Amino acid sequence: MSENNPYIPMPVEISKIIDEVDTHDIKTFRFTFVNKDDEQKFVYLPGQFAELSIYGKGESPIGIASAPTDAGYVEFTVQRAGAILPGLVTSALHDMDEGGRIGLRGPLGHSWPIEFLEKKNIVVVGGGFAFTTLRSLVKYMLHKDNRSRFGDITVIYGARTPGLLCYKDELAAWEKRSDIKTIITVDKGNETWTGREGFVPAVCKDVAPSPENAVAVICGPPVMIKFTLPVFFELGFSKENILTSLEMRMKCGIGKCGRCNVGYKYVCSDGPVFSLAELEDLPRDF
Amino acid sequence: MLVLKKTTIDKLPELAACLMEKGTLVAPVKEAGGFNFRAITDAAQVDLIFHNTILSPKTVFFPQTEDFVRYSVYQPILEAKPVEPEIRPTFLFGVRPCDVKSFEIMDIHFTRTGVPDPYWRKRRDATIIFGFAFDTSEEADPAEFYHTLGIGAADPDGSDVFMLRRDDVLFLKAVSPRGENLLGGLAGLTDAAPDERKYFDDYIAQGHDYKTRYTCVDAEAIAKEFEAIFHNTDFWTKVSNACLSCGICTFVCPTCYCFDICDETQFGQGVRRRVWDACMFTDFTLEASGHNPRTQVYQRLRQKICHKYSFHIRKYGPISCVGCGRCTRYCPVNIDIFSIVEQAVQAKWYKRM
Repeated sequence: MSENNPYIPMPVEISKIIDEVDTHDIKTFRFTFVNKDDEQKFVYLPGQFAELSIYGKGESPIGIASAPTDAGYVEFTVQRAGAILPGLVTSALHDMDEGGRIGLRGPLGHSWPIEFLEKKNIVVVGGGFAFTTLRSLVKYMLHKDNRSRFGDITVIYGARTPGLLCYKDELAAWEKRSDIKTIITVDKGNETWTGREGFVPAVCKDVAPSPENAVAVICGPPVMIKFTLPVFFELGFSKENILTSLEMRMKCGIGKCGRCNVGYKYVCSDGPVFSLAELEDLPRDF
Repeated sequence: MLVLKKTTIDKLPELAACLMEKGTLVAPVKEAGGFNFRAITDAAQVDLIFHNTILSPKTVFFPQTEDFVRYSVYQPILEAKPVEPEIRPTFLFGVRPCDVKSFEIMDIHFTRTGVPDPYWRKRRDATIIFGFAFDTSEEADPAEFYHTLGIGAADPDGSDVFMLRRDDVLFLKAVSPRGENLLGGLAGLTDAAPDERKYFDDYIAQGHDYKTRYTCVDAEAIAKEFEAIFHNTDFWTKVSNACLSCGICTFVCPTCYCFDICDETQFGQGVRRRVWDACMFTDFTLEASGHNPRTQVYQRLRQKICHKYSFHIRKYGPISCVGCGRCTRYCPVNIDIFSIVEQAVQAKWYKRM
């Protein structure tokens, strides 16, 4: 029963921990596979997620932050969760050191629709730490083998403060490149911040990406999404060309445990990526 | 034409003993609160004098708890051991036709779509089902409405062997090749006479006319109706007014499949297992962030009913209900799922028989 059992995690080892933000509650964990077979089997695309599994604590579904072009490892950016009760898995993970081992189940769910995105101009809009699977997408598209498959790439990424921006080194590298337009904004800057200030929706309006042959891929806190979507409507993006990723509480991650449904769709196995047209077909129960 | 076999009720223990030699026999057993499917330890326990069980026979394929992995929090993850479930050839004896139908509906979810669930598949493959006709001389149970869903009181579909009781005689007929193989090798069964074969066939045909509560239900139409009233908060508040969110309707339901995966650790030693869960519980959808899309009772009852009569149809095809009536029978505050369906469709297109 252990062979190909979708409920049994594979062992992975933490090879690197990156403290992403100045509040120290968001870290990127780089994992290497303990068994080489598992590494071969873990074939994914940007937008998919996996269950991080710690025996005695439980499992937590987290979007994959690395890109498939990053060979030999897989990364997850994890926030220490818990507004009501401490998040058991994320707390335990944050307390671990490099060399520690946990379980991993995945890859799960559907990716960003790569074939659909090909030959199109891509506008990536992210807010806060919901940027993880978008980072995966951008890294994937920027890879030298893939860059020519996509049109113009525009990234609009915002956080509340400069210290809360994730992947700071990569953002700096993207800003220097000519084949990607990178716009970083913070709600409120500080004395050293020389970049843009302003909320993501306002910045989108200001930047005004052309809807011509373009797809907007948007991830962020609900309030950001709520005010960003109308901006893209006004710019002329169709509902089929606005993509986002949903979250619901999950357990199995493979569409069996019945927990993460929104209407007739399971977010884990039918999503988590949905177009706005698909979302409007679902009841507002999330 | 497969041969109809028979035995007498007083010889049931012999039949039971014969099956117990070949594997595990699971049959309705009388317990304090009523009947439940249990592994038989004494052949004399099998008497078939029951209307239906409290818990549905899904317990055989989808037990209340299923251990996945044993671990120690002091040991590295590589030391964790997947639990090999003990699955023997099983004879599931005395399953009512509506419950047999539920297996087919659950198969779609567990094994025929997406990633197959290995536990459900292995248990299902190891089991031979003895369906058992309802007694149509009795008045229909007021909670049941399988007739609405097109399931006859004596439907052999989905069984491997189908059984029918006539006074002191029990008729058995193979429905599937597996059932035929099995019946051929069982001692103590005799061939039924031609008039008995006619009785058996007539009984099955007439089972379709056996009237339980009835509303003309078209799956597609009802799915749309529920989509239309999904956001009608007044309706859902009214029908869920009495609901205690106890979850009993989901636990007794033959087609409810929601589960939780829990790590249970004691003194450092633990088991990761799946356990039944229920969409009626408030923490079912509580996220670590504190966000919960279903904090209200009406939202949870709406989820349950819309899942069965709308989402499931759109996702998988059939209604996720077999009209066994358990949810209604065991609801402590008498919430009647069928009347909610009737109210939902109002007087638009359903007709009372």
